[in-house]
Amino acid sequence: MRQRLTPSGGLVGEAPFDIQLTRRLYRAMVFARTYDRKGMALQKQGRLATYAPFEGQEAAQIGAAAALEPNDWVVATYRDAALMWAQGYPWELLFAGRTGDERGGSPPEHVPVMPPSITVGGHMVHAVGLAWAEKLQGTDRIALTSFGDGATSEGDFHEAMNFAAVYEVGCIFLCQNNGWAISLPRERQTKSATIAEKAIAYGMPGIQVDGNDLFAVYEAVKEAADRARSGGGPTLIEAVTYRRGPHTTSDDPNRYRDPAEVEEWARRDPIERVRIYLSEHGAWDDEWQAAIEAEAQAEIDRAIELAESMPPLGPGEILDAMFETLPPHLEAQRRELVEGLR
Amino acid sequence: MSTETFDPQLLDYSNRPPRLPSPPNEANDRIDIPLDQRMRMYELQQELRQFEKRAYDLFMQNLVKGTSHLSLGMEAVATGFAMAMRRDDYTFATYRGHAHTLARGVPMGPVMAELLGRGTGLLGGKGGSMHLTSVEHGMMGSYAIIGAHLCIANGAAWSAQMRGSDQVTVAFFGDGTTNIGAFHEAINFAAIWKLPIVFVCENNLYMEYTPIDLVTPVEHPAADRAAAYGLERIVVDGNDADEVYDTARRLIEKARSGGGPSLVEAVTYRHGGHSRADPGKYRPKEEVDAWLQRDPLTLYHQRLLRLGVPEIELTKIAQDVARRVDEATEFAKSSPPPDPESLMTDVWADGGSSWRR
Repeated sequence: MRQRLTPSGGLVGEAPFDIQLTRRLYRAMVFARTYDRKGMALQKQGRLATYAPFEGQEAAQIGAAAALEPNDWVVATYRDAALMWAQGYPWELLFAGRTGDERGGSPPEHVPVMPPSITVGGHMVHAVGLAWAEKLQGTDRIALTSFGDGATSEGDFHEAMNFAAVYEVGCIFLCQNNGWAISLPRERQTKSATIAEKAIAYGMPGIQVDGNDLFAVYEAVKEAADRARSGGGPTLIEAVTYRRGPHTTSDDPNRYRDPAEVEEWARRDPIERVRIYLSEHGAWDDEWQAAIEAEAQAEIDRAIELAESMPPLGPGEILDAMFETLPPHLEAQRRELVEGLR
Repeated sequence: MSTETFDPQLLDYSNRPPRLPSPPNEANDRIDIPLDQRMRMYELQQELRQFEKRAYDLFMQNLVKGTSHLSLGMEAVATGFAMAMRRDDYTFATYRGHAHTLARGVPMGPVMAELLGRGTGLLGGKGGSMHLTSVEHGMMGSYAIIGAHLCIANGAAWSAQMRGSDQVTVAFFGDGTTNIGAFHEAINFAAIWKLPIVFVCENNLYMEYTPIDLVTPVEHPAADRAAAYGLERIVVDGNDADEVYDTARRLIEKARSGGGPSLVEAVTYRHGGHSRADPGKYRPKEEVDAWLQRDPLTLYHQRLLRLGVPEIELTKIAQDVARRVDEATEFAKSSPPPDPESLMTDVWADGGSSWRR
């Protein structure tokens, strides 16, 4: 397993980028955690529907996004808000989606991020399609798709990986192996020793990295992105991390896992090790920490306000996000619905 | 297989470099198999071969209802596995399942009658070539949806595991299936649950009209995937019944004794096209010729001669099989069509049709 930054902040080899960028990505991880904790709190207040937390996976997501070009595609899941935000998806739309508002699934025109996939595995096929389309058009844009360890047992994973490899499309498969697929532990998910070695079945490179290591994730994704962009085809990356929270707010993990395991992983926190690293380079202090936390709080609060101030959707608008032009039979159903409610 | 309106002539891969077979392995003569069993394996391969050749002739006379998929050239796989199975073991096959059905001991007459859509057919003439099933022979069905039956086969294996019955399931599928999601889900599930099942890929190098290597990023579409499920990589010569049998008995024994599933790739070749709608002309001529030379029956015939069996005995077996195929054909041809009253039965477990009213 590749590692660049140990849990205690020690550097293995060389850092992949300078202190300035490290500070920016550290700040982004703080923003991500602020959003995530706010999401959990809002759900408990009844202001969001279900929420799926990603606490502990910030480095895997922010590190991956940092290695992409601004117009590369990101096709991710309900647990990937940090990754999606880092590629341009606004916080307020991420919140709106979690309130059940369909408009949260329509990113702004220029943002190359697909709405979060709730269906496990289905979106990987879409990512391959986007990457294939870019290849056919002769651009150097690539796609990154993110998924969990559970998704690797889905047939869509197999079909997407095979297709991407055969047609040598520029797609990066980023598996955030967070140890748990709802209540199923990784060792009961699949018989292979690692997720990364599943790449062998598709003749593509497979890389296992410490997913709580910002530097290692960045390096692996950068390597895969360079290969994809130069026509070298897809890569599977397994970022080994941990889901410190429940599967969603509808789940109680104390029923199936040992709290000691959670404590163990808290000691391998992805943000803390970067903080120590920065501190040792004289690039972190309490004052800056307080400042970025305040900025994060303000930005997240503003996003909640924007999401909650959107005028509510009327019943006739529930089909709006499905088609560019609604087919006649659905148009008829919409009319019937609206008139029936009048 | 809705290939009837598709023109395979449009797809021409015949200029690709041929995929030629490796030379036959004479060392397999020394595999420890009693001679009387080898004679039975020769006879079984003759049965599968002659039955399907007759089926082909009957298609040409328009006596067979619906389409059909022949496994001419692939008889050694069905033979090697069936010989290694216990009477109460389970077989799951695809729509290319004539050979697997016969190899489990289902009599030729009802199978031929089924192909001809007669009331005396294995399924009363209502299933046809693509759905051959005989539960009493452990033949748990022929399935037309690519890959789906692997999940169903897991269910049978899981049931055997829970009942502690020691039964082993063998599931056959083609090379194209290996790129279907259900393949991935089934093998992963079987490996995790340590199910008593053997997955057998009959790699005949073509998925319908497409060379498998055009759509697969690894050389061996099944064997090279084994690592992804923590399984052993196994490739066998699918045209050598003894090699298939030797592997089959090892893996079936492993499954029976709680050692979990296996994934085998048997490399073979279909002599004809994908279905009766397909003349198979998209394959390089040199390739087809080379594989015809490497016919499993020819190889087995030569092996038995090397082992000292007189030619006359082999001729007698072939003649006896020919007579039985004739009888099965007469039985089928002289049988009446299904009774119209049977139209609504065999849909639900109780045989009734009250749900329609």
